[in-house]
Amino acid sequence: MNDFSIIIQILWTGTAMSTFYVLFTVAFALPLKIAQLWNFAQAGFMGIAFYTMYVAFDRLYLPVWAGLGCGLVATIAFTVLMERYGLQTLRTRHASILHFFIFTLVLSEFVAYLLMLLFGTEPVTLFPSVLSPVHIVANIVVSDWDLIALSTTALLLLALLGFLRFHRDGQFLMAVADNGPLAELYGISAKRAYLVTMTIASVFVCVGMYLFGTRAGIIPTTPLELMLVAVIATLLGGIGRIFSAALAAVVISLVQSFSVLIIASAWQNLVLYGFLFFTILIFPRGFRIPRRIKVAPRPAAGDV
Amino acid sequence: MNEILSTQGLYKSFGGIVVADNVTFSIAAGEIIGLIGPNGAGKTSLFNLISGVITPDAGEIFLRGLPIGDLPLHRRARAGIARTWQHVRLFKTMTVLENLLVAPRECSGESVFKLLFGGGAYRREQATLRDRANGILARMGLAPMAERLVTELPFGQQKLVGVARALMNDGPCLLLDEPMAGVEGTAYETIKTIVREEAAAGRAVCVVEHNISFIKDLCSSAVFMANGRIMQTGTVAELFGNKFLTQLYFGT
Amino acid sequence: MHYIYSLLVLIGIYVTLSASFNLIIGNGGLISIAHPIFFALGAYTAALFAINFGVPVLFSIAAGMIVALGSSFALSLPALRISGDYLLIASIGFQLGLVQIIKNLDFTGGAGGLGNIPSVLSGETRDIAFAVGSLGMALVVVLIIRSIIRSPYGSAITAMRDDELAFVSLGRNAMAIKLVIFAIGSGFAGLAGGVYAYYYLYLSPDQFEILQSATILTMVVVGGMGSTLGPVVGGILLLALPQAITFLQLPPSIMGPLQGMIFTLLVLVFLFVRPQGLISTKRLHR
Repeated sequence: MNDFSIIIQILWTGTAMSTFYVLFTVAFALPLKIAQLWNFAQAGFMGIAFYTMYVAFDRLYLPVWAGLGCGLVATIAFTVLMERYGLQTLRTRHASILHFFIFTLVLSEFVAYLLMLLFGTEPVTLFPSVLSPVHIVANIVVSDWDLIALSTTALLLLALLGFLRFHRDGQFLMAVADNGPLAELYGISAKRAYLVTMTIASVFVCVGMYLFGTRAGIIPTTPLELMLVAVIATLLGGIGRIFSAALAAVVISLVQSFSVLIIASAWQNLVLYGFLFFTILIFPRGFRIPRRIKVAPRPAAGDV
Repeated sequence: MNEILSTQGLYKSFGGIVVADNVTFSIAAGEIIGLIGPNGAGKTSLFNLISGVITPDAGEIFLRGLPIGDLPLHRRARAGIARTWQHVRLFKTMTVLENLLVAPRECSGESVFKLLFGGGAYRREQATLRDRANGILARMGLAPMAERLVTELPFGQQKLVGVARALMNDGPCLLLDEPMAGVEGTAYETIKTIVREEAAAGRAVCVVEHNISFIKDLCSSAVFMANGRIMQTGTVAELFGNKFLTQLYFGT
Repeated sequence: MHYIYSLLVLIGIYVTLSASFNLIIGNGGLISIAHPIFFALGAYTAALFAINFGVPVLFSIAAGMIVALGSSFALSLPALRISGDYLLIASIGFQLGLVQIIKNLDFTGGAGGLGNIPSVLSGETRDIAFAVGSLGMALVVVLIIRSIIRSPYGSAITAMRDDELAFVSLGRNAMAIKLVIFAIGSGFAGLAGGVYAYYYLYLSPDQFEILQSATILTMVVVGGMGSTLGPVVGGILLLALPQAITFLQLPPSIMGPLQGMIFTLLVLVFLFVRPQGLISTKRLHR
């Protein structure tokens, strides 16, 4: 394998590995945009999604679609309950961002401890084997997992984009994101928008955990770490910009993959957090490409 | 004329809505100017521009001839601009007296260094401050309420406290935003008296009001604003003689 | 007996952390979760001064306090320029970043941790001395914070909380007050860190991760923000209750998660059943 092949390989595998980060990031960025909610409970959902599917596959031997279905149902149920009974209550009380933060984070912690109690701290994967068939394409190792991951993620992103742009409910979400009270005046239910948002986030979380869990093992505290990447990507992409955040997730993943060539793996996290530090202090609103300002044409002499 | 506060060509727009359009006016020492006009005319926005809550897109503001446009909010107050708010904005978890004690122009109470190292001088200063605050409360008939929580007071008295708090700022300029809204009886008379006294003492006073009799009683001149622009200045009689303006204001 | 003393030391440390955190969050209204980082900075500074320069205990703890206080500006200055809400996110980043840096630097011992902190005293004398010292520190810090809150400065802080715009329009420099409160609170966290380092004689980055932060945060919220006694009660309650099941003699693989579940469940319950905190005062600070 020559150097060029190595780079292409890392590029390919790195991008494939970024898929679940992209899904987790979008799941985190969406409630932030629509409901201005920093959903630190996402780690809790991730844990529930994973371990439900784990039980479905490993204990009940259900087929893939059924297992995924169970995971989806469990995650969505949990999310909806949290939104309806937890977040709604806090909103009605005009609770501060502090209370939301504590609530969501402690919820994640509670789930982590519960899962620790039920499943212990040994790493588990969704299926006994994480190996998937590979093909060699132009000197690059391409596995079935890579293909599934990339196509699923691309599909979900496209679906989300289409939904937000063209579907009525999606447009309502954007209206609520822009100006909640105003949207209410026009008859758009903010509560419903929040529920839809959290449901979409659950889907992304569940699929993401499926992809991750068919590739690597997790322990109950892994979701908290994975969620951190999502938080960082969201910050780098700019609060409120979902697809920028997704891109940031890919970039972070690739940087981490490539950095193996240059620096010891121990420093990889430092690269990540160095990025974060730098962004927070210098680019608090995320990286922005300055738009070229169009100069309005001067009206002709005859115009008033 | 001893000009205290003046603005020059102030312009401010919020996404297409122009709240201040080439506003040029001034207040001299001892003057009481009434700022009148329909809702949304930009009167409160003008106060916000002067006190520093919002920054103008263009134009200048001068206090005693010196430009203050670059000064942040808190420095403008220290320079001598005192104001009240349409919605009063008292400190709700504090008593009447406490509300006043954080209001002077220079307040050693806001410095942790003075707290730790100020010693005797600090204590004396705090005592002087207290006396001054009590004096103002007495002047406004609020002395019995000094230790009451502001939320326990009826609205009219809360407005009085708002004015009292502004008076803790002994600077040359006093801006009152609808001091009479929701006020009647003795509170009404008290505020009128206070405003007269302050002007007599040399302050430049500007009052935003809808209460026409208050304006007629008190103001040496008035400024009529609509759509962010000054439509006319003059005596109150002149303004109300202008049929176009009364049409704009009252719709009759 | 040693167990009781170490619990007392821990209580003293946590009460100091809670009270100083409460000053920042409850009184100052500044939402940050970087408090444990200043705790860590204090601990590491004290340890490093002791190990590398042989500085005596009181001075190295004081150094820890000063470093924590000074470095708080690195977070508060840039973050507060944006907005108060942004401080929370910036503090998350600050927290994560600094823990990583500690993990990767050699002189801090890296991920393996920093041991060899010179021990002061030994045996039961040591335990008693530290218990008294830690509780004494907590008492002093609580009293200092209380007297700050009851002073004219405290009035200024309260007014700022009530209506910041009106406050600033009177001529008050709200930014300066926020920076100072943040610094004082962080300084006290550093102080607690110094004591922690000298008692446990071993520091590692894991002890200061983001979940530790959340723990202190919840103690303050559950206890009652803005009140002096609240965080004290919150601290003791949330530390002691999970410990209560230790006597059940369950295996550690169950004990650990179970304690965690009790703690988090308590927080969730209190958050919804008594959102104003266990001890709340109608007027925030008197």
